[in-house]
Amino acid sequence: MTDTAVIVLTAALTGTACALLGPFLVLRRVALLGDAVSHAVLPGIVLVWLVAQTRAPLAVVAGAALFAVVCVLAIDALRATGLVPPDAAIGLVFPALFSLGVLGVTRYADGIHLDLDSTIYGEIAFVPFATVTVAGVPLARATVVLAVVVAVNLALVGLLWKELKATTFDPEFSRTVGLRPVLLSRLLLLAVAVTAVSAFEAVGAILVVTLLIVPAATAYLLTDRLAVMVAVAVAVSWVGAVAGNALATATDSAISGAMGLACTACFVLALLAAPRHGLVVRWIRRGRRRRPAAAA
Amino acid sequence: MGPLIDAIPLPYTDAVVVLGAAVLGLTCGVLGAFAVLRGRSLVGDAVAHAALPGVCVAFLLGGTKDVPLLLVGAGVAGVLGAVVMLAIERNTRIPADSAIGLVLSAFFSLGVVLLTYIAGSGDADQAGLESYLFGQAAGLLESDVAVMAAISAVSLAAVALTVRAMRVVLFDPRFGGSIGLPVRALEITSTVMLVIAVVIGVRMVGAILMVAMLIAPTVTARQLTDRLVPLLALAGVVGAAVGVAGAVGSTAAGLPTGPVIVLLALGIVLAAVLLAPRRGVLWRAGALLHRRRLAACDAALLAWHRDGELPERSVRALARRGWAEPGPAGPRPTAAGRAAIQEVLERRALWSAWLEHGTRLDLDDPREPGPHDLAAVLGPHRVSELRELAATNGAPR
Repeated sequence: MTDTAVIVLTAALTGTACALLGPFLVLRRVALLGDAVSHAVLPGIVLVWLVAQTRAPLAVVAGAALFAVVCVLAIDALRATGLVPPDAAIGLVFPALFSLGVLGVTRYADGIHLDLDSTIYGEIAFVPFATVTVAGVPLARATVVLAVVVAVNLALVGLLWKELKATTFDPEFSRTVGLRPVLLSRLLLLAVAVTAVSAFEAVGAILVVTLLIVPAATAYLLTDRLAVMVAVAVAVSWVGAVAGNALATATDSAISGAMGLACTACFVLALLAAPRHGLVVRWIRRGRRRRPAAAA
Repeated sequence: MGPLIDAIPLPYTDAVVVLGAAVLGLTCGVLGAFAVLRGRSLVGDAVAHAALPGVCVAFLLGGTKDVPLLLVGAGVAGVLGAVVMLAIERNTRIPADSAIGLVLSAFFSLGVVLLTYIAGSGDADQAGLESYLFGQAAGLLESDVAVMAAISAVSLAAVALTVRAMRVVLFDPRFGGSIGLPVRALEITSTVMLVIAVVIGVRMVGAILMVAMLIAPTVTARQLTDRLVPLLALAGVVGAAVGVAGAVGSTAAGLPTGPVIVLLALGIVLAAVLLAPRRGVLWRAGALLHRRRLAACDAALLAWHRDGELPERSVRALARRGWAEPGPAGPRPTAAGRAAIQEVLERRALWSAWLEHGTRLDLDDPREPGPHDLAAVLGPHRVSELRELAATNGAPR
């Protein structure tokens, strides 16, 4: 495989992993969870440095994953009190964890270059250079990791489809029919935490945040059915990966930023031209409603 | 600013930081309320990220890292991002938090692309552009504080003047529109004020602190009051207090100011969420425990009356209330205990009467009373009416 193909494939796998979960986050009003996790992992990196004095990728990812899980569970606990709206819970927990990390860096790792950019956030352009050998075939490590994450997310969403659907749209109903909305919500959040951390390491934070929100929001404009929404979100993320890579090559700019912009372009297109929820259709409908009134 | 800073018994630089934190906390506390109550808590995060392409464009146009120029770029991009966010939220089915996320992703992606473009242009002056926006409270200047104080005064005055209209727009925008309020203009005004505060604040203390300072004061105040004006005042006070305490504490302990303020703010929120009267988690748990104990006592007293025998497990609870005393043949009721039994019986009779004949009462309070507060909610007059209905088995008087 060429390096470009590896990059596009990795981005598309990241997009698939994110787009499988994104629709649920958008529908549950916790779309910004990815952004929260991207900041909240800092204390994990400090902890790994404190315990093992290392910045090795595997250890750093483990520490980051630990605090990603702490972050999502704390958000869920705060939200579950019913006293704090979900978006405010996100905005309270991740600054606190990030602050904890900053304090840790100044207290214990002053003078060492320990920040998110240099430890956990990867750069998608470098994906082809870190390889592992699977069954005698050299493959890009990030591609393999993300393929596993996609498989796990696919299994989670596929096996718990009915349950996730019911708890997302009507938690009260799902409780009365014996489902466990709290448990399912936590499972979903854990999947987001793990997905986000493994994807940060491959493609950087902003692309993960984008891929969790933008394809899902695009799909939300195009359909009223959850299954279609997930499928469309995955498709949008693939389009974003391919078109973004082409854009980056053409303009010689950052691949992750270009992929984000390509996804955004998909959203703008859907915003304008969606068959039922698009702006153009709304304008036409509004014009039609006004005309008889104007004639009278 | 001079005399105010002199009045603070701290070294000059620390006094500036403390004053800056107080002004910032006050402004963020009050303005943040309008974001949090509309489900747009993370708008500060989006605006802070949206400023990046603005800074890049300003640099491309101006060609230098000139402070006011970059700030104007950041401000314009921030306002643009906020307006796009409001437009998406208003015209589509996308929820507020996803609209915020869309703006954040789109603008920051654009910023990243512009950064690489600028880096590729080979301009040596561009280094450090992306970290330009994210400041440190310790590097605060007196002029920064003065600018922030001016913005704070203007926005607080605007809030004070429009608070009645804002209340309608916040809680019932459709009703606001129907009585002729300029809903869209008010929303945009409050959001633009917020954006300006965020852009200035991010430059002073960093994006992450801004996110927390917009949310924490309102969430705290919300646990303590259900009314908007007290909430705004309380949020302002909490914001300023957290800012001052964090600034003083961090300089005393030699720690960075921003993170200490954030952790302090979270501590206050947790205290409010756990302990707030009537709403707090622990308070509700305590009230539930109390009600369970009352119900258990009622059940024990009824069983005692019915069977003439007190269930073994309730002996201690009733004895502690002075309702039971040891007798020769097991526990026996005291005088107070007999009165308590009588009271439970009466309450049950009244509840049955309410269930059977309650619909005939002419109540002016639409609330449904519960078994424990029935007599208090109905009042003596209606209680006797209900007793009469029960006695005549519903026949008209």
